[in-house]
Amino acid sequence: MIVASSIALIQLESLKTGKPSVIAVAVASVAVYAQSATAAVQGVARGAAASVADAPRLAAQNQALRDKNRTLRLENERLREALAAAPDATAIADANARFGPGVEATVVGYDPEALSRTVTLDRGALAGIKSNDGVLDDDGVVGRVVATAPLSSTVLLVTDGASKVPAIVQRGRWWGIATGTNTSVRLEYVSQDAKLKVGDAVVTGEGRSFRAGLVIGSVTRIDHPEGALYQTALVTPSVAFGRLSHVLVVSPNPSAAKPAEPSE
Amino acid sequence: MKVDVARTRALWTANKPGDSAAPAYVPDPPAWWGVALALVAALVLQTSVAPWLAVRGARVSFVTLIVAWYALRTGSLHGVTFGLIAGSCEDALAGSTGVAWTFATAFVGGACGRFARTWLADMRIALVPGAALVTLVRDCAFLVLMQAQGLALPLPALHFHAMLWQSALDALVALIVLQIFPQLGAARAHRR
Repeated sequence: MIVASSIALIQLESLKTGKPSVIAVAVASVAVYAQSATAAVQGVARGAAASVADAPRLAAQNQALRDKNRTLRLENERLREALAAAPDATAIADANARFGPGVEATVVGYDPEALSRTVTLDRGALAGIKSNDGVLDDDGVVGRVVATAPLSSTVLLVTDGASKVPAIVQRGRWWGIATGTNTSVRLEYVSQDAKLKVGDAVVTGEGRSFRAGLVIGSVTRIDHPEGALYQTALVTPSVAFGRLSHVLVVSPNPSAAKPAEPSE
Repeated sequence: MKVDVARTRALWTANKPGDSAAPAYVPDPPAWWGVALALVAALVLQTSVAPWLAVRGARVSFVTLIVAWYALRTGSLHGVTFGLIAGSCEDALAGSTGVAWTFATAFVGGACGRFARTWLADMRIALVPGAALVTLVRDCAFLVLMQAQGLALPLPALHFHAMLWQSALDALVALIVLQIFPQLGAARAHRR
């Protein structure tokens, strides 16, 4: 009875204060070791199986990538030349500074039940990760940090129904809110005059967790109902959440947290 | 193994409700360390391996099955306590659920404990659909508690679909486990 009451009170106290309870911190810290070990074993097994099964396909893919790499290298050299010739070098330096250094982390665990889309990272508060930090991988936006323990942190994926990210359709700069649908992302509250097209890239807007311009995905379906105030688009995320492994945790954009300066 | 189950059932039968005589048996609850190890294994499975075994967006909830089974073998108070511990661990690992799993699991533990030492706790044919029902009740309690915390899930229809699949998966796992380990389907007891 005493144990039950103590646990209930600790949990209720954490709910009241909004901070993780002692139980939550202890469990998350201990669990990360077991999850890291299991994830390592899984990674080795999956890698071995995939390399055997995918050998013929990989050979063809390798050739295609070599060709693409040659094309991109040429384009890269042309763009570097254009960049060096750009008159406003200060603006580029400022943009680079805004990116800031990130914390590399590995996905070691998933939500214990399937009712929300979260993953656990093997780095936590001791590595400098805080709530609302943005999480990215090579392909684009993964999600944002919602809870941290000393040695681990929990990330709410952009596909979770509770996730909301300010987003922009890159082609026309139309604003919207990217909300998760558990399997993909829905771009909501897009103005009716926006001329969306299937294949349009959707990127982040300036927000609490991300800087502007990070890829979320591409439009695959457009719902443009007559008489509605807004239109909606279904967006396929650029990140393959099924094989999420290494991610980069970036601090929230400091300029988004500051109040707007009065215009002169 | 079968002899053990039959002996236990005979002891239970000898102590029908309404009998005025002193009970002819003394229940043997499961060892707490065994259940604790099972809980740890279930949590590791659910957070590391189970995502690869998902069926239509749903996964088996081993935690629910272990809590319900332990409560059936021990009673409400132990069920609530174990439910609080297991639920707290799930909330800690989920990160975005507040205390919803803590109290949803404790509720299920307490409810299942009410059926301890009744015929339902020893009837395998009732345990399998019971596993599905318990999972559904726990998930519904979870959604209610999420709403109460202001963490409402915006896609209830989708989650209800996942809940139904999870219930079916839990019932299937309960059936398989009870086929392999029939002694889990009956309470252990020894004669006074």
